[in-house]
Amino acid sequence: MAAQRRWHTIIPRDQLSNPPEGIPVTWLKPRKKLSKIYVHPPPRSMPKKCPDPVGVVTASQLATLDSSGARARLFDKENTEGVRVGDVLHVRMREGEPVSGVCLNIRRRGVETAILLRNQLTRVGVEVWVKVFSPLVQSVEIVQRRVRRARRARLYYMRQPKHDMGSVEGLVRTYLRQRAVLGSGGKGAAEMLGKKGKGKGKKK
Amino acid sequence: MPPRPPLTWSSLPALALRPVPASLALRPVPTSLAPHTQTRGIRSILPVDLRLSRWDQDNPHAKSPTALSTDKALERKSYTLPHRTGVIARKKGMTAIYDPETGVRTPCTVLQLDRNQVVAVKTRKKHGYCAVQVGFGWRKPQNCTRPELGHYAKARVAPKEELHEFKVRNEEALLPVGALLGPSWFKEGQFVDTKSNTKGHGFTGGMKRHGFSGQPASHGNSLTHRAMGSAGGSQGSGSRVHPGKKMAGRMGNESHTIQNLKVLKVDEENGIIVVNGCVSGPKNCLVNIQDAKKKPWQATDLGLPTRPLSLETVVEEAVVAAAEPVGDAEVVAAA
Repeated sequence: MAAQRRWHTIIPRDQLSNPPEGIPVTWLKPRKKLSKIYVHPPPRSMPKKCPDPVGVVTASQLATLDSSGARARLFDKENTEGVRVGDVLHVRMREGEPVSGVCLNIRRRGVETAILLRNQLTRVGVEVWVKVFSPLVQSVEIVQRRVRRARRARLYYMRQPKHDMGSVEGLVRTYLRQRAVLGSGGKGAAEMLGKKGKGKGKKK
Repeated sequence: MPPRPPLTWSSLPALALRPVPASLALRPVPTSLAPHTQTRGIRSILPVDLRLSRWDQDNPHAKSPTALSTDKALERKSYTLPHRTGVIARKKGMTAIYDPETGVRTPCTVLQLDRNQVVAVKTRKKHGYCAVQVGFGWRKPQNCTRPELGHYAKARVAPKEELHEFKVRNEEALLPVGALLGPSWFKEGQFVDTKSNTKGHGFTGGMKRHGFSGQPASHGNSLTHRAMGSAGGSQGSGSRVHPGKKMAGRMGNESHTIQNLKVLKVDEENGIIVVNGCVSGPKNCLVNIQDAKKKPWQATDLGLPTRPLSLETVVEEAVVAAAEPVGDAEVVAAA
């Protein structure tokens, strides 16, 4: 099986019985035939059984954090009714103040998926990364959709004074008031708001 | 010219018994040769008892100072030697784990074990210390040398991609050869040390490699902004570069141990171990995991196994695997 190595074939075997002149006899000794070594079969391969362990850990996390899969759908790239960059979002936290702002970036990394929200507080630009699958995030609501689809994946140009959207506080207040009047939505309805937000965007 | 001393000491009576020629009497006699009969030869063909005498305590030759000092050294070191062997894993990437109650996010590294098997053990009697040689993964027999194949055949295991030896405290920690070690060798909440090679950075300058400050960007500087500067003093310090001077050179790809990482998850079915925080090295690098040296021994609290899966299970696994088509695992290497 193993390839014949160079030092095995100094002299071809068929010449062994017919030694050439002037070569020591010891060279011509027939090589001892190597014994066979049994190669044991390997146990079952774990990488074949589970080629993506990080995906397995992520899936088990999402099963507890996002059992209905609604939030994953909200940030799915294929979902046309989901969140896109340029949308104004309102994020309620389990405790503390809600966070709102225009979404500059969506970082899709499984359970680590996060959004970057930009807002202005007391005329100072503020940016916050929100981990969307964190148990501390109660709901993510779309306040206003971007009128046209953004042609960039990351809207960092909105940090420039020329493009800065300013404070989204007014937009959020109007949205919350309207929602209270309509009486729909409310807590736990975050995932419905993908559709609802779109309707609003059209209206405006 | 004085007569030369004989070359073969063993063929003559002891040096002290021999009459010393007057011409030799004034020469200093090598003390090491005086009482002993030195045997010269090839170690590997000496009789077995002489070969093993160095470590074997039952052998009268073992009373040598070497053996005694080794005993003492092992006794001193036993404080930090783990009670159990470690395993080899592959780093698959990083993610995070959330606690649904508190919302605390814990960054973590996902490691995957693959066919970890005990290939050999080293004993105090034969080798001078106790260790377990563990193999990882599978290697094509065509890519192994004949001595390697012989080593695996002796252990009745398939050729391994990687071998590593884990030192253990005593003979009790030695495992049967062929034993399969899975992720359940570790328990959630346990602390482990991970050892792997850091990412290689290639040839880097002093600023990146050692954190030198470099030179100013302006104030008359020209063309030297990232140079390391002086390598030492002049005549006062010997007009030489001191050994160990930090300079530019190859950075990374060095062994690096991270101690006391908590085990967050263990998944026997998929061969997964998730540890807290980061582990050195790129994705798909091999990582050695062993019980934490600097934590108290947690076997009783956590119920850590000290024996692996039964050998019967291993054999069953192998039989199942043999039934599956696995390329040319059945290859019998011949000349």
